[in-house]
Amino acid sequence: MSAVLDVVSAVLLIAGAVFCLLASVGVLRFPDAVGRQHAAAKAQTLGLLLILLGAALQNAPRYAAPLALVALFQLLTIPVTGQIVGRTAYRTSALAGKSLTEDALARRLPPEERLPPEERRPDADGG
Amino acid sequence: MNRSLLRRLPSLLWLWLLWILLWSTPSPLVVLGGLLVAVAVLAVSRFPGVSPQITVRPLRLLGLCARTAGDLVVSATAVGWAALRHGPRVRAAIVELPLTADSDLLVTLATLLVNVSPGSLVLEIDRHRGVLYVHVLLVVASGEAEDARRRLLENERRLVAALGRDQDAPSASGPPGPSEPPGPSEPPGPSEPPGPSGPSGSSGPSPTSRKDDS
Repeated sequence: MSAVLDVVSAVLLIAGAVFCLLASVGVLRFPDAVGRQHAAAKAQTLGLLLILLGAALQNAPRYAAPLALVALFQLLTIPVTGQIVGRTAYRTSALAGKSLTEDALARRLPPEERLPPEERRPDADGG
Repeated sequence: MNRSLLRRLPSLLWLWLLWILLWSTPSPLVVLGGLLVAVAVLAVSRFPGVSPQITVRPLRLLGLCARTAGDLVVSATAVGWAALRHGPRVRAAIVELPLTADSDLLVTLATLLVNVSPGSLVLEIDRHRGVLYVHVLLVVASGEAEDARRRLLENERRLVAALGRDQDAPSASGPPGPSEPPGPSEPPGPSEPPGPSGPSGSSGPSPTSRKDDS
């Protein structure tokens, strides 16, 4: 029984670590701030949840509650961060414009109403 | 007086429970201390009371939760794959998402739901018109912005069906048209200046909320 639990735990922990790794690859490779938020908000959240689940299986049940709280607050706060970063990125023209095939927001917020992009650091495009 | 106390009771209970969970040992000291801390926090900070804006339908909510968990797995896998496969060449689109939800809490939840859906991230909440502007990674969402939009709309209808008040739920069949011309001189929504208070002000219970009289 405990061997089964160990295996399940190990699989969850490794899968979680893989998703966190993928998230950091995404943060490095995606072209702009919003793309990076996709990686941070999705892959990293799932990675953390899997790791928490794997850790919960290895501990006494009374430690499950604090771990569940970590998961809850992660799920509640990460999307908020993502939205605020995305909103700011759009308004400071930090989106990689050529990767956009369609921009419905441009009608409400034309480029001349946003901050010009020259305030970005020159190495912000990554490489 | 009595009513405002009653409205803050859920917050009090939640803070109390949170304290006990954090200590993870319900000893008398922790339980009593938690109650004192919860009362102190509520006395010091004046949170706006969240009026009951939702009706919980447990079965549909459960279905929505299961679906959302599945979406998160798909989403994380797809984004991770896109990072490896496409990286800097990834394509994206920004689409409009007209909401049926019309209470602060539901709009907040809808935003949350969009953000865990595969390859989509809310960029802008126009609370006044009830429109979300969503950034979609196209490699994740089957290549077409219109597909992604339809899928997100469907999810939002499900949310309203699970949690919307009775007067919200039937209107789920008739979404407001997105074709209304955008007035550039409109003061509310996205045209407010970027600032630390801006983003949070457009999602939570805020002065921008409208016709939430129940």
